[in-house]
Amino acid sequence: MRYWELFWMFSILVAGGAFAFITVVVTIKGGKDMREMIARLRDQKRENLE
Amino acid sequence: VNFSPIDWIIVAGYLISSLAIGIIGRRYIANVSHYLVAGRELGLYVGIATLAATEIGTITFMYYAEFGYKAGFAAFAAAAISGLVMIVVGRTGLVISRFRELKLMTVPEYFEVKYSRGLRILTGFLVALGGILNMGVFLRVEGQFLTIVSGIDTRHLVAVMTVILLLELIYTVLGGMVSVVITDFIQYVLLSVATILVTIYAVGHAGWGNIVDKISSTMGMEGFDPLINPRLGLTFLVWQVLLWFAIHTCWQTTAMRVFSTKSPELSRKVMTWTGFIFLGRGMMPMLWGIAALTLYGVGTSGSDGVPVPVVNGRSLQPLEAMPAMLAEILGPGIRGLVVAGMLAATMSVNSSYLLGWSAVISQDIILPIRRVLGKGMLSSRSQILVNRLANLFVSLFVMFWGLYYQLPGAVYLYLNITGTIFLAGAFVCVVGGVYWRRTSTLGGYLAMLLGAAGAIIPYFFLHWGENITGFSAFGLAAFGLVVGSWLRPARPAAVSPETY
Repeated sequence: MRYWELFWMFSILVAGGAFAFITVVVTIKGGKDMREMIARLRDQKRENLE
Repeated sequence: VNFSPIDWIIVAGYLISSLAIGIIGRRYIANVSHYLVAGRELGLYVGIATLAATEIGTITFMYYAEFGYKAGFAAFAAAAISGLVMIVVGRTGLVISRFRELKLMTVPEYFEVKYSRGLRILTGFLVALGGILNMGVFLRVEGQFLTIVSGIDTRHLVAVMTVILLLELIYTVLGGMVSVVITDFIQYVLLSVATILVTIYAVGHAGWGNIVDKISSTMGMEGFDPLINPRLGLTFLVWQVLLWFAIHTCWQTTAMRVFSTKSPELSRKVMTWTGFIFLGRGMMPMLWGIAALTLYGVGTSGSDGVPVPVVNGRSLQPLEAMPAMLAEILGPGIRGLVVAGMLAATMSVNSSYLLGWSAVISQDIILPIRRVLGKGMLSSRSQILVNRLANLFVSLFVMFWGLYYQLPGAVYLYLNITGTIFLAGAFVCVVGGVYWRRTSTLGGYLAMLLGAAGAIIPYFFLHWGENITGFSAFGLAAFGLVVGSWLRPARPAAVSPETY
């Protein structure tokens, strides 16, 4: 049982750590991604209207 | 009511800003490609955010917490499978690379590219049926969560459900995928913060040592070892592997993110990184359920052998244990932040699902049937209108189903089975279509019909267990594809893709 307890403790630490790390990276870098997407969509809409 | 004024301000502020930002998305809609796949302009980070937000909702937290409450640490195996399979799909590009290369907008569209228009319509019908039945229980469970945590009288459950639905419906109908992606990004950040906060609070209050002791005393080794746990076992784990391969490749809302990325290579990266998020997406709420068992699992043992939760002298269902725990352990301000995070999770999932299933109804049922009847192509503007009407239809159905349908068992397993209605056939047809040259339209029809029958009849009419139902659906679908393709092999020329 001790082995399983350590295994699941390690698993939750890895899973929680990865979750938190990716959240930080996505939050920081996602803003630029979003601005680029909106700019491209705006261009596409303009081309569509022309 | 458990909410303090600061909690109400945080929640109201989130709802108003989310709605306003969602409505702004409408400005960028020029054609149906913008409406359904955001012009295929998703970058890596926004792609990760929207894919994660789409598949992490209050419903996810609720069913995983319930699963953790009932199965202990052994439940973590299911979460690990969901994440690891996603990483494998991302690394290998299994199915998703081909999907993105074909520039699809819905999963059933592939069936016309590979098989026939008729099979696309049948698949569209089954995808919509399974998807809407799946989503049908979301509102009730989410409403349960919000009423318990906020302390609103449960008599107002219907009102809470209606408000949730209306808010997400407004921006989804108006701005389609663009609005959904923009709001998903904000909602992802908020729900992630809430997820991490709740995990810290839950473990901090229950104590890791107490959690381990509680699982040991109530479940023994079964609470740790998934192979000997009666709720899991080898057949369950194998079924989960199969199911998650199908979900990560053929689930409409997940696939729409793949279709929306800038390139096939990028879709693989998005899938790989989101796989790591999926590990925490499952394990953390399961841990909340285990913490709730530790703190409140003091009642008499229920039919499933686990003590029922008792909070403030009141016996609850295991599903209600986690939100009841949050209402007790979170202080003012934090409670508002967590509920705003959970609302964000709810709205991101529901808006994506509304868009996903309504896209299938419009693009794979209504428009192809119009073509079969000899009617002309619809303009992009008219297609968007059909999509919006389908959105309204799905919303009404979900509201009705949520009010009147009583779940026969655990939420997690109900969701698995309703998804299997189309996933078994769709996954078999797609993998066969991409990797096996002999697959034919007759095989596709048999796979879809037998897969659906293999899920619906055993579960809803024969009341078989979920594992056996899952295996029967996938087994029958594979049998149908092989036998049908053997009886009438594919013709050399495939049907050319056609965009409606």
